[in-house]
Amino acid sequence: MSCIYPIGGGKGGIGKSFIAANLGVLLAKQGNQVVLVDLDLGGANLHTFTGMTNVKTGMEAFLDKSVKNLKEVVVPTNIHNLSIISSVNCSMEIANLSAAQKNKVINALVKLPYEYVLLDLGAGTNYNTLDFFLSSYEGIIALTPEPTSVENAFKFIKALYFRKVKQVLGQNDFKLYSQQVEMNSNALEVTSQVIDTVLEKDPEKGEILLQELQKFKFKFIINQFRKTVGTKLGEKIEKVCNKHFYSEFQFLGNVCYDERVHDSIFSKNIFVNKYSYSVSAIDLSHIVIKLQGNRESSSPHTLGRYERL
Amino acid sequence: MNDYKKMNYYEVLEVPVNASFFEIRHAYKEALSVYGEDSLSTYSLFSEAERETLLKKIEEAFQTLMDEKKRSDYNNQLVKNGEADPDDLFRDYNKNSIPIFLAHNAVDKNSFFKKVKKKVGESSIQKLSREILETELIAGQDLKKLRQAIGIELEDIFEVARISISILKAIENDDFQNLPSLIYLRNFLKLYAEILHLDPEKVADSYIINISLLQK
Ligand SMILES: Nc1ncnc2c1ncn2[C@@H]1O[C@H](COP(=O)(O)OP(=O)(O)OP(=O)(O)O)[C@@H](O)[C@H]1O
Ligand SMILES: [Mg+2]
Repeated sequence: MSCIYPIGGGKGGIGKSFIAANLGVLLAKQGNQVVLVDLDLGGANLHTFTGMTNVKTGMEAFLDKSVKNLKEVVVPTNIHNLSIISSVNCSMEIANLSAAQKNKVINALVKLPYEYVLLDLGAGTNYNTLDFFLSSYEGIIALTPEPTSVENAFKFIKALYFRKVKQVLGQNDFKLYSQQVEMNSNALEVTSQVIDTVLEKDPEKGEILLQELQKFKFKFIINQFRKTVGTKLGEKIEKVCNKHFYSEFQFLGNVCYDERVHDSIFSKNIFVNKYSYSVSAIDLSHIVIKLQGNRESSSPHTLGRYERL
Repeated sequence: MNDYKKMNYYEVLEVPVNASFFEIRHAYKEALSVYGEDSLSTYSLFSEAERETLLKKIEEAFQTLMDEKKRSDYNNQLVKNGEADPDDLFRDYNKNSIPIFLAHNAVDKNSFFKKVKKKVGESSIQKLSREILETELIAGQDLKKLRQAIGIELEDIFEVARISISILKAIENDDFQNLPSLIYLRNFLKLYAEILHLDPEKVADSYIINISLLQK
């Protein structure tokens, strides 16, 4: 059974792909079988972070049905134990997956015979991105310590909740309940109002909904961290989310800003390999340790495993 | 989401029901830094009205839990509503050992005393101490001024000398109606003075004369 960690977070350019690739490398170096999956179908660049220039096959072959099993489009990287399913050859039309295709991908992801499956998601909150993220109970939200990014992260959580609520309630009920809610721009209010309304009008369904939301153990990473930002930002966000949302939130750690990240991409070097003693690389390795700590101590249903939505 | 309006004061500040005054003040400061208007950690998370409600509740919680009388009334209410276990509540919350000086790294009385000693060595503090001792009559606000200049909280004094906060407040405000009987008062004053590195006898005498004059 594999551990699936989707990496998302609403905002573009915050380092989702950088984190996915480098966590993948660190996990692989420990001897785990790891596959990186580029699910940013419209802007695939995960292969670049692993130092690859051309990729022979990838997601496109699975989507256009030239291969049947997703396993067949896995390509090894230069790193021992680390493979990738790239989407760089996906055409623009493919990027807008149909619901059926999306489900097909999600169902195939679960069956991949790897210990760790890391999903690199695109920016934004479209349904495909949200559903990929919700394919595991242990999605990782990336953000940077700026107001715009924090705002996007909260919006992302709201969108996840909305999506989940919709799935649990079904289209009709969702319509019914959300009609009674005043839609304003505040993430927290809207989400809680829908849930409160359900709890009030249909307590049984409300309970199921709550149980479903409580299964999530979201994680988050603050990337491009700078010393000038209070070091307690992550702990504070963790506390606030645990207090005000219905799921569990875990802060995995800060990853320092380092100019050499940019250089390493240019020179096709993998950051944690080339600069393995940099503060940022050490930050990333601490995150790996924390993730694995969870794995050992958690109960079966909270492992980052896929369950049918 | 989870309805903070329904949370009790301990939940709001995220402290155990038998939390010490230190813990409460610390938690209060923490809460303000999280829910304050310019906090990055809650940026865009709440509407203005919501944030205001939250901050108001935090303030209420702090004011209630820092006041022995109000806190005890509130605790009784919680027990009555079945929201708290009397066993937890009445386990003396004062006896827990707690961080002193609210510095994360200073956790025992020794480090508190060391810190005070160092601060008292500074020339500005020495000057202030001298001025106080040179006056005939020492008023509560003189002591308060010195205490604050050194950076000691009332809870610190409570913690090391076991003088209750309400009595300390009465001392500092020359609030003779709420001061304890003379024999206790003398003792408390001496303890307080010692913490401030002032001559205990001199402080107790001058303070009591001053109070007796005020009383007339
Ligand atoms: N810790 C870091 N320190 C310095 N630069 C970083 C760091 N993390 C990421 N970057 C820089 O930010 C850029 C964007 O990173 P990345 O492509 O991983 O973001 P993304 O979230 O995947 O973006 P997109 O939403 O477009 O997929 C990279 O080119 C990299 O140079
Ligand atoms: Mg990316």
